Parts: sequence; structure tokens; C-alpha cells
Amino acid sequence: MEIRHLSKTYGGKRVLDIPAFAFEPNTRYAVIGANGSGKSTLARLLAGVIPADPGAAISGGGSVGYMPQKSLGFRLSVRRNLRLGVRDAQAGERSARLAAELGLDALAKRDGGSLSGGETAKLALARVLAGRWDVLILDEPTAAMDVPAALRAEECILRCQRETGCTLILVTHAFGQAERIGQQALFLHEGQLWEHGPAEQLLHHPLRPETRQFLRFGAFA
Amino acid sequence: MASSLMGALELLLHPTPMLLSILSTTLQMALLSSCAALLLGVPLGAALSLLRFPGRQALVVLNRTLMGLPPVVCGLICYMLFSGVGPLRQFKLLYTVPGMVIAQIILITPLVTGIMESSLGHTAGAVRETARGMGLGGGVTLLLTLNENRYQIISAYLMAFGRAMAEVGAVSMVGGAIAYKTNVMTTAIMMYTNRGDFTLGLSLGILLLLISLAVNLAVWLLQKRWA
Repeated sequence: MEIRHLSKTYGGKRVLDIPAFAFEPNTRYAVIGANGSGKSTLARLLAGVIPADPGAAISGGGSVGYMPQKSLGFRLSVRRNLRLGVRDAQAGERSARLAAELGLDALAKRDGGSLSGGETAKLALARVLAGRWDVLILDEPTAAMDVPAALRAEECILRCQRETGCTLILVTHAFGQAERIGQQALFLHEGQLWEHGPAEQLLHHPLRPETRQFLRFGAFA
Repeated sequence: MASSLMGALELLLHPTPMLLSILSTTLQMALLSSCAALLLGVPLGAALSLLRFPGRQALVVLNRTLMGLPPVVCGLICYMLFSGVGPLRQFKLLYTVPGMVIAQIILITPLVTGIMESSLGHTAGAVRETARGMGLGGGVTLLLTLNENRYQIISAYLMAFGRAMAEVGAVSMVGGAIAYKTNVMTTAIMMYTNRGDFTLGLSLGILLLLISLAVNLAVWLLQKRWA
């Protein structure tokens, strides 16, 4: 997936401006940055749920799966929620396995609209991971989960990415998660792609002072 | 007052053919017009809320204006359209139940559209984003959006039904309150009160409230079952 002149303006303020970047196939990217740095805007633009400013180009993505930051549990049973994106038997098997791994089996008959924040996030993650995508974008998928659930979710994300060979773009605030999942990391600062490179290098030996400043607090995440 | 109330209760226990005719005409008109308004208003509200097209904002403002359309003005317009010199005279709708239903639909549909436009606007973005991320098509997304707003749809229907039952201005002008034909509860209450027949007027008023209570109870039970 390649992007060129990707920008987004809200009310006269440019909140994202990336001249060019290429996401390689079968690679996991962690997108980090402070609140309002443009991470979710980048995710939404790549997923095609909001239009970019005129002149932007996103090419070569193929099928894109996307879990928004504020995913919904639809007002159907959890079982029916899980079946929504299932298009073939393989996806059905993946969905059933994910439901078991994320502890959704016990909630199968519950109304998807009545779940807690963490349960809704698990449901949304299971739904999107059951699909087979060329590019998978997850916007803070574990932010509402407790630590054990978040670690289980990370295992599911890693396994699904390895099985499908998709490009994974993970937006996260959690330094540890970025390190555990990301092979490459992108640091956004005030809507700009400030620094990018191998996750290990960027997270531990950042080149730019703004990245260092942000990552100083990484140990707490 | 007390004797009128006793007489009204007696009449409700032993209804006359006239009372039954008024009840039947009222329910026929209210059910038909509220169902039609729902069928028209939900898709219109969804279109105004979910789609982005030139002139959308103007249509929203027009609909909000029509939400405040005075019933007598609606009745007057329908009267002029259906009367012997109106463009729709060949359909012979004046002083008929279908004519009253059309007038009610004109009055109620903007209300349903407005409620749907505003309630869908709150949830549509999140539903669309979640559904699109899962690769779901537009049809499924629309159904999910409507399902997320099913309580609002029920509330809109209740409001439409209540408005159709209680409306008097338009139906009296278009229907003419003809006994055994177009006389509905509200027009009959007015007519009997003018004649000084408070017993019949009061019994109709009680019946109107009982129907409203029954419909609300039925919907409440339905909502409880869905919850």
C-alpha cells in the first residue's frame, strides 16, 4: 500500500500531512504518537472511511479490514455479530476459534449492544480478524481491555497476521504493545510522519528529540 | 359531570352502532396513516441522515418547516385538491376515509422523517465506520443502522399513531364528519359537545385514552421483550 500527498484538513486546520510512504506486504507496523498527532486520522484515511484532501493518492492496498477506535457491538446477539463478516467456511472456523480464545463463547447469547467496553473491543477484534485482508488496520484495539485480555488479543493479532500474511497497521499508545507486535514503527508528531524505521531501533534509539521526549514515558505504558 | 361520566361508562359497556362505527373509522384511519407515514418517513429520514447530496440541507429545513404545518392548513390544501374544482377531483377523495388518510400522511410523515433524521445522525457514523471496516455492503449497513435505532422507530410510530388519533383540523375539513362514514372520535367529540351531548363526548374521550394506553402498553411489552 502506497500513499502520496496524503493530507486531511478539518475546519481549516491540517491535522495530517504525509508526502509519501509505502507499507510493505506481510509486515507489521506500529503507529505511535501523542493524542491528536493524527494516528486515528491516518488509520481512517487508509481504511477509506473518511475522504482525504484533494490530490492525495492511496494505491495498491487490496482488501482492507479496519477496526475503528470506537467500534460498535451491534444490537444483535454476540453469535450473530460474529457471523456478520463471515463469508466462507474458513472464516467461520477462524471466527469460532477467535471467539473461544478471546472468551466470547460465554457471551454468545448476549446482546452486542449491552457489552462492556472491553467485551465490545474483543467482539470487534474477533469480527475483523476473522476476515482475510491484504491490509488490516487496528486502531487501539486493546485500549479498553484488561492486561490479560490485551495480551491474549495481541497473541490473536500476531497469529492471524502470520497466517494471512497481511500488512498490519496497528495504532497504539502502548509502548510495550508497539514493541511486541511492530516490526516497523511510525512516529507521528503534529500530523507529520516525524520518524519511522525498524521498531526496535525507533523505540529504543530514536533519532529525533520529539520522539525521545514522547518515548521517555514509554516505560509506563 | 358525574351523571355524564356514569352515562359514558354505561355506553362503553353497551356500545351503540354509532359508537362502534366511529371507533372503527378512527382506528382504520389512524392505523393506515401511521403505517404509511412510517413506511415513507423512515427511508426519507435515513436518506437525509446518511446520504450526502446537493440540496440535502435545504430538504432538511423544508422537512422541519413541514413538521410545524398547521392541520387546518393541510386540511385546506387537501380540500382544494380533492374538491370539485381541484386537480384530483376525479379520484373522489373528498369526504372519504382515504382522503382523510392522505391528509394525515401529509401531516405525520415530516414528523417521522424528522425524528429519524435526527436519531440516525447520532449513530450512523459509528455504524458505517464499523461496518465498512468489516467489508459489509451498503444494504447490510443500512439494516444495521435501522436495527440500532429500532427503539427510535417504535417511538416515531407511537408519535405518528397518537397524532393520527388526536388530530381534528384536517380530518374534519377533508372528511366532513359524516355519520357512519367519516366521523372519527375527535370530530365526533366536537360535534356532540356542540350539541350538548356530553355523555357521548365523554365516552369517546375515555375510549380515545384507553386506545392510547393499550397501544403504549403493547409497545412497552414489545420493547421489554427485545431488551
